[in-house]
Amino acid sequence: MVKRNRLEVTRDILEILQKNRQVKITHLIYKANLSNNSIKPYMEYLLKNKFMEEVIDKDKRFFKITNKGNEFLIEFSKIKIFSESFGL
Amino acid sequence: MFFSLSLGRFYGIDSLIELLIIIVSAIIALYSHKIYKIVKEQNYRFFSWAFLFIAISFIFKIFSNFTVYQRIRIEGVNFVYTVLSQPNYIPILDFISFTIYKIFYIIGFLILFLLLTKTDKKQNIFLYAYLSIVVILFSIYLNFVFHITLILILIFLTYHFYENHKAHRTTNTKLVLIAFSIILLSHLFMIFSDMDPLDYMIAEGLMLIGFMSLLINQIKIKLAFKNGKKKQTGSNKRYLRNTAKE
Repeated sequence: MVKRNRLEVTRDILEILQKNRQVKITHLIYKANLSNNSIKPYMEYLLKNKFMEEVIDKDKRFFKITNKGNEFLIEFSKIKIFSESFGL
Repeated sequence: MFFSLSLGRFYGIDSLIELLIIIVSAIIALYSHKIYKIVKEQNYRFFSWAFLFIAISFIFKIFSNFTVYQRIRIEGVNFVYTVLSQPNYIPILDFISFTIYKIFYIIGFLILFLLLTKTDKKQNIFLYAYLSIVVILFSIYLNFVFHITLILILIFLTYHFYENHKAHRTTNTKLVLIAFSIILLSHLFMIFSDMDPLDYMIAEGLMLIGFMSLLINQIKIKLAFKNGKKKQTGSNKRYLRNTAKE
């Protein structure tokens, strides 16, 4: 299996958030195939850059994608098409 | 009465074509630099440099075109005026600008070659750089050495894009393959351009088609996902499906 780079992991997390209305951290860890420790820097990065936001619902912590996060996913897809078209 | 008019070799048509090539190369270089700023991967930085070098090379090519000028003489005898035009050129400026064009152009395509063939061994890079310097020195005086070197580099690049298209069968990969195949063909015509000016114009026309193909690819990337998922093209739909499966 090919190792994902930092950007690909970020994209995967955002895609999980995009597919679901709101996601619990445990679900995110499982779906993104990351460990409890390895997901932390990504969560910090995504929250800091407002790509996702924290929602408290019935005393439980959930995460959901923001508009900025959706825009980032689109930009990432364009980058992917560009690098694919030149075989970069 | 004398005056000089400079429109290049072909009334400025070739310069206009080259101006469009500069614009397309600059667009690709800028987009790649934008990606580098987001992703921070060196590949995109070098890719941006390659197209920047190509764009700069064509600026000097245009400059060399304008070293050719028409010396127009108007003679009047008994109210009958004759206009005589004689092509002329400034040898030293033509030599300098055309040499700089060749240097930047070869370096641009060499960066593309090293980047896309994933040549990262220092010894190989050193050897290619050395050979390029030798080729540049030879090509200053021998035009065909310059074109043959580019043809060789372009054959490898076209093969890379063919393999890439086989791996990812999308419209974008096809457009890039078509573009580089046409640029390769254009340089084949360029070899004979010193003998026949028509070959020069055909080569310039082909070069324009090649770079326009690259521009269409850029436009397609820019417009992808513009109107949400419903209006995406076939290749983009396939991309989204594939990434969702991963």
